[in-house]
Amino acid sequence: MNTRTFHTCAFLEKFSTYGKIGIAIIIILICLAGYSLFAGNDMHMIPSGESLERPSIAHWLGTDDLGIDILAQIGHGATVSMSVGFASAILAGVGGSVIGIFAGYFGGTADKIVTALCDIMSAIPQLPLMIVLGAFFGSSTANIIMVIAMISWVGPARTARAKVLSMRNETFIVAAHSYGAGFAHLAYRHLIPGIMPIMLVSVIRIVSHAIVAEAGLSFLGLGDPLSKSWGVILNRSLNFPGIYFTDFWKWWILSPLVALMLLVVAIAFIGRDVERIVDTKR
Amino acid sequence: MTRRSRDSRAQGGRYLLVLVVMLAINFFLPRLMPGDPFLYLSVEDGTVSVVFSQQQIDHYKAYYGLDKPLHVQFGGYLLGLLRGDLGYSIYYNTSVTEMIFTRLPWTLFIVISSLVVSSVVGTALGAISAWHRDGMLDRILYAVMIVLSEIPSFLLGVLFLFIFAAQLKWFPLSGGRTVFATYGSVGTALGDILHHATLPVATLAVSRVGGFYLLSRNSMLTVITKDYIRTARAKGIGRRAVIIRHALKNALPPVVARIFMSLGGLFGGAVLVENVFAYPGVGRLMREAVGNRDYVLLQGIFLTITVMVLLMNWLADIVYRKLDPRVAR
Repeated sequence: MNTRTFHTCAFLEKFSTYGKIGIAIIIILICLAGYSLFAGNDMHMIPSGESLERPSIAHWLGTDDLGIDILAQIGHGATVSMSVGFASAILAGVGGSVIGIFAGYFGGTADKIVTALCDIMSAIPQLPLMIVLGAFFGSSTANIIMVIAMISWVGPARTARAKVLSMRNETFIVAAHSYGAGFAHLAYRHLIPGIMPIMLVSVIRIVSHAIVAEAGLSFLGLGDPLSKSWGVILNRSLNFPGIYFTDFWKWWILSPLVALMLLVVAIAFIGRDVERIVDTKR
Repeated sequence: MTRRSRDSRAQGGRYLLVLVVMLAINFFLPRLMPGDPFLYLSVEDGTVSVVFSQQQIDHYKAYYGLDKPLHVQFGGYLLGLLRGDLGYSIYYNTSVTEMIFTRLPWTLFIVISSLVVSSVVGTALGAISAWHRDGMLDRILYAVMIVLSEIPSFLLGVLFLFIFAAQLKWFPLSGGRTVFATYGSVGTALGDILHHATLPVATLAVSRVGGFYLLSRNSMLTVITKDYIRTARAKGIGRRAVIIRHALKNALPPVVARIFMSLGGLFGGAVLVENVFAYPGVGRLMREAVGNRDYVLLQGIFLTITVMVLLMNWLADIVYRKLDPRVAR
């Protein structure tokens, strides 16, 4: 079956209940992010109420110590966290696919080097490596994206390599080759479309890993203090003196925390379903 | 499984290669960075001040061996490592090796206990779930575990911290033991340490239990459809005995391999979770090192964690071969 024959509706029907819940959560979060992006009132930066107000009609999730509306911060943080997640996932996905295609197609020494590199990368514990790299490169959003991508390309590279290896001997590739198709043509017409579906699965997986990694780095104080991602909001609230002895945590800490958990679980649900859908098509 | 079927010498070579690359990263990363140690040590970020004269800089460069060519420095670094010398902390001015070894037991304690708890509970629940496939219990467990397996440990830790420590006050907020406490007996000391460790261990265990559950459930589901299970049941052996003696025994190897393999991720989780609970382990030290820009300490910790994870992975390969004769050829 060809991907193009699917309509969106039929595609949605292939998702399980979990997957639909995931999609709903993502849509809500994207709406929230979109609202904060286009409202243009800088609610996430400018105090709009008293310090540490409880949740109310005016401030649905209350305010922080500076009187800034927390819902606005969560909306803005959604744009930051999600763009970090998608940017590093796409970077890692594209980079990993290119490396994997080269390794799988050309084989030989290039393949050996790539396989060894993948083995090395997957043996080193990721988070400690990320902390070390993050500490050395400094904490700007661009650096964080780069560090996460540098660590996450292994999965896509492995899947791309395996898929290209299995495709290389299929008749349509052999036929194209015998007509004189070069690597560029083959890659563009056959290899890249061939690995696209499974690549989608591994990129989705990286998105949620990247969002968590960014939150973790921010939590350790390695986040970009200028961009208020959910992790940075959480870190700021946790460092507030007296947060443990008051009620403030019920809205100030729980909001970014629950937002992060919802997003990660939602992405995981969607990832599981996409994996299943892609798998049955193979 | 193809990775496992390679012979053990290739495996050993792979670990050696990882170690070499690791050491190279550790050695070259600070040397590739812009600026030099004298700038880092003497000056705040972004400002320029003249603290050292050129003679002093030359003197210290000679003193630290930084005037020698890189390969000589690398050799010296390796020799130092062989003697267990990770250098001196920039901020605390004490031996990095010593600092790490005073903190390591705390980390190992929570990592290992959470691993034991999560693997035992996860495997048991997975086996129960597989046996009652598609029943009510299985569905509820599956839904809960899928969600749990995705939630990152430090977020769970923050949640636990505020619910069980800040709100309900069942457990202490932070630390590995009560500060300034004098214990009457070994029992009370142990109780105090366990009391402090409960939340960190529970956090790590809960965040790992889902993975073990899903693996064990999957493994059990494939095993119980096998003919020898039907044969055993047909022979009149009781259900419980079949599960434990026949099914679990064959479903276990992937789970055991996972126990060792998950150590890398678990150490990563522990680094963050220790910081949530201000637990005095290596992860806490790592954050202090980051905060103080203590690169020597940071690299020492990174190296220690990686070497431990590598050793565990190696052990996993060996154990897996022993448990499952089909892969050892």
